[in-house]
Amino acid sequence: MSYRHLWAIIRKEIQHILRDRGTFMLVLVTPTLVLLLMSYSLAVDIQHVPIALLDFDQSATSRDFVHQITAGEDLDLYVTVDSIAEIEELLTRGKIKAALIIDPGFSEDLLALRGLSLQIIIDGTEPETGGFAVDHIGWRAESFASNILASQMQARGIQFDSLQPIDLRIRAWYNPSLTPRIDLVPGLLSIVLGFPAFSVALTLAREREHRTMEQLLATPITRIELLLGKIIPYILAGLVNVLIIPVIAMAWFQVPFNGNFLVFILLSILFLFAELSMGMIIGVFMKSQSSALALSFLVVMFPGFFLTGIFFPIAALPELARMESLFLPGTHYAIITRGVFLTGIGLDILWPYAIMLLFLGLAFTGTAALFFKKKLA
Amino acid sequence: MEDSYIQITDLTKTFKEKTALDHVNLSIHKGELFGLVGPDGAGKTTLLRSLAGLLSIPEGKIISAGCEIHKNAEAIKSQIGYMAQEFSLYGKLSVLENLRFFGDMYDVPSSLQKERIPSLLSFAQLTDFQNRRAAKLSGGMKKKLALACTLLHRPPILLLDEPTTGVDPVSRREFWVILNNLHLEGTTIIVSTPYMDEADRCSRVGLIYQGKIVECDSPAVIRSKIGGEVVKVVTHDWQKAREVLLPLKGILEIQSYGEALHILVDSAEKHLRIIEKSLQKHHLDILEIRVISPRMEEAFISIIRKMDQVN
Amino acid sequence: MIRRILALVKKEFIHLRNDWWLPAIMLFGGALELLMIGWATSRPITNLPMMIWDMDRTAASRNLVISLENTDVFTLTEPADSMTIIRDQMDRGNINAAVIIPHGFSEELSSLNGEPVLQVILNGAESMPARAAQRAVEGVVRNLGEEITIEHLGLDPEDLAGFDFSLRVWFNEALNEAYYTTPAELALMLEFTILVFAALTFSREREFGTLEQLLVMPFSSLEIIIGKSIPVIAVGLIDFSIMLSVVYYAFRVPIRGSLALLYLLAFIYTLVELGKGLAISVFSKSQHQAFLLVLLIGMIDFLFTGYAAPVESMPKIIQLFANIVPAHHWLVIMRGILLKGSGVMDILPNILYLLLLGSVIGFFSIRYVRKALD
Repeated sequence: MSYRHLWAIIRKEIQHILRDRGTFMLVLVTPTLVLLLMSYSLAVDIQHVPIALLDFDQSATSRDFVHQITAGEDLDLYVTVDSIAEIEELLTRGKIKAALIIDPGFSEDLLALRGLSLQIIIDGTEPETGGFAVDHIGWRAESFASNILASQMQARGIQFDSLQPIDLRIRAWYNPSLTPRIDLVPGLLSIVLGFPAFSVALTLAREREHRTMEQLLATPITRIELLLGKIIPYILAGLVNVLIIPVIAMAWFQVPFNGNFLVFILLSILFLFAELSMGMIIGVFMKSQSSALALSFLVVMFPGFFLTGIFFPIAALPELARMESLFLPGTHYAIITRGVFLTGIGLDILWPYAIMLLFLGLAFTGTAALFFKKKLA
Repeated sequence: MEDSYIQITDLTKTFKEKTALDHVNLSIHKGELFGLVGPDGAGKTTLLRSLAGLLSIPEGKIISAGCEIHKNAEAIKSQIGYMAQEFSLYGKLSVLENLRFFGDMYDVPSSLQKERIPSLLSFAQLTDFQNRRAAKLSGGMKKKLALACTLLHRPPILLLDEPTTGVDPVSRREFWVILNNLHLEGTTIIVSTPYMDEADRCSRVGLIYQGKIVECDSPAVIRSKIGGEVVKVVTHDWQKAREVLLPLKGILEIQSYGEALHILVDSAEKHLRIIEKSLQKHHLDILEIRVISPRMEEAFISIIRKMDQVN
Repeated sequence: MIRRILALVKKEFIHLRNDWWLPAIMLFGGALELLMIGWATSRPITNLPMMIWDMDRTAASRNLVISLENTDVFTLTEPADSMTIIRDQMDRGNINAAVIIPHGFSEELSSLNGEPVLQVILNGAESMPARAAQRAVEGVVRNLGEEITIEHLGLDPEDLAGFDFSLRVWFNEALNEAYYTTPAELALMLEFTILVFAALTFSREREFGTLEQLLVMPFSSLEIIIGKSIPVIAVGLIDFSIMLSVVYYAFRVPIRGSLALLYLLAFIYTLVELGKGLAISVFSKSQHQAFLLVLLIGMIDFLFTGYAAPVESMPKIIQLFANIVPAHHWLVIMRGILLKGSGVMDILPNILYLLLLGSVIGFFSIRYVRKALD
């Protein structure tokens, strides 16, 4: 390996990153920008779900019940209707996400302890929102009912506090309030830090498209020197973001950083190496920037979103997809970032993931080098 | 041919169904300025790329400067300077940065780079532009910079694929002055060109047509091989003159150069009179008529015509 | 004019043939991706690893464990016998939740004045599965609590059975996840396909300087735009058809509304995204820049489609912004037609928005492209 060759490629590539506006933005600015954007819009708590009310009972109890349910920020009473047909239309038009129907005899049944004569209808096309409404109404209905039950029992002389005798003490470690943003921000690192992979794929394809590759292949440079020279500058650029993003995460989003910063940097380098090698494989196989670009979306971007356990837990994936997720550097890195930010664990626990990243990086680079021929045809 | 520096034996290269090179045999001596001419698609680029070690060589052999390129192409790469037909420089890098980049690629130590770059810049007349981005250079300057990039490591072999295509005449002339200097210094140069006047400047010329070397000799010998002489005629109405002359016996072919006609005849002495007479008969004024020696271009066209007739 | 446009279209297709990867990815990549991601994610959250530390070891505690297991949300790991193990497994991220059943749980449960306590620890480092686990545990414990209460009060179980209410889910009776994930994923893939393809058309030619060549030929700028657009529209609609078949046949998502209306609106949506892509392509000097813009715009659109988080819950300003994101309306339209069987009147606001955005984007992108071309 000639360090002169390697350094020449690295220097040239760095000059390109600094001078080409598109590359500069993509590699150095976009990761932080997208992280900010996503943490603001993805980590929203469901609130203000519009619901419709159809009250057949029209009693003081039912009005009281509705009042309790729509108090607070969670559910908004969008409209009170007179018929099921109206509910159907509102749901079809997407004006409401759920409807509460209070059956005739609701208060009578409740006072006689015959149960809750309620119906809830939710929009099954958005079950997250609908499910939220159901949970909310369920909780309120239960406490409403148990209050009534308690007063009834008291009248009969029986001591009774609640329908819930079991004291359920739930604690969440590492993120006590279960704020989505706290774990989403470290998780998203594995997506946004992967952006330079696109540039790696494009830079190889660009040399081929612009015919500078022919000139380069005629020089004594070896393919390993060329490929490493292509990836190292982007790893360095990625490191800039590795330094910036934790600061933003801590200062802006109040994400704790409980681990060791050096471990984080070290493992981030391994991740960048593995992730960017994926871009390198694409760059080696694709003849043009356009196909390199399209393929990057398919093999780097979308699986990075859906199969690395950031939004959807790996444990719940089907067997085959779980296997695939093992080959995505993002899967391991998401565990690492959550570990160093939130759990505060170190290399003693994280070493298997580090080894996996190193293995993936070497395997991807090796594959790229194997298929990269210093020939035109 | 006892001390051939580059020896090509039975080189054949096919792309999908198309045969680009068909059993090419060629030997080139050390220090030659070898011109490779032929129409587009004849195989010039394929041959040069093979010599640069850029193509896999499943059939045939190339031994160049002692390296067996068909077996291991990498060894030759430090020995050559290769300038691709569409040489692209790194547009975002300045002239100087491009030079340094290729200097590093060819393992030229920094001290030597510092020594050589100023002279290369002045010899490529780029000294005033050394900090300009390569993307902002004119076509001729780009070509000269490209040549400078391939010269930094003083390669014993220089492979140039149509280096003057798309370059203005002044730059072309300058380019050839540079090549001649390199030739005098003893560099072995193989240059392909579509311009026949450039072929005349080479010490030896190979005519390549349909993947085969059809003729390979010094320009003078190739010119003499065409088996005829040329009469140059200048008239005002060259279209009509051409019509008049074409049917005459003994006239092999007529090529027009602006208002001048170059008439290839089997014997110039005999035909000079006949041509003059028939033009006068048709009341065409003759501004100039004389016997000239054939140019590469005529030689080239007539050889290819003959090849086509044989097929 | 038609003949000249056809010549341009032919040229575009010839270009595609030279690099067959691009059209292959454009046409089938999205569908394959949809198949894979849809298959992987269109399922309820299950198999979350949970650790139990049962100090009580009675019939009642075992009963509770079985109830937790029966929810299908959890996979039980090796039981714990100390807090250290739970701490260690939680640190390693091997478990999403742990339940600790203390000594005397069953005694407390059965005595009338007992105070049974159950400890649950959630792994907050993954808040999404942690919430799912919380919901499941609360459900199990609530049912158990009600049973116990009824028993204690000596009431007839029939009496209190009605404390559950009836729940009906419309449009997706079985709460099939594929019904809502796959149409959204389709919308996402379609947008990226069209944007990438359209954004490349001019930026590629600009990067290589071939645009000038096109300009000296006798085409009017409108002809060039149309000629460049036809392949994009063709690829977009074919891609849409393939993906729709995947959604319909592989994920069994119904098409309850009019297929013709769906296609008409898909065509309009394609035009809107095409307009965006063209504007990007003339704005970018290189393919790399075009890519950057596609990434940013696509990302912003994705966030405001309402796929990842419901738009209604976002701040008011963001909700207003979501209205100018065509993909947001397209997703509403697609969910409406596929699942709700919506007709024109039901999704009229979204159609009008789409048309309005289409005209605005179309007007500006054509003006912009023409200015860049002339």
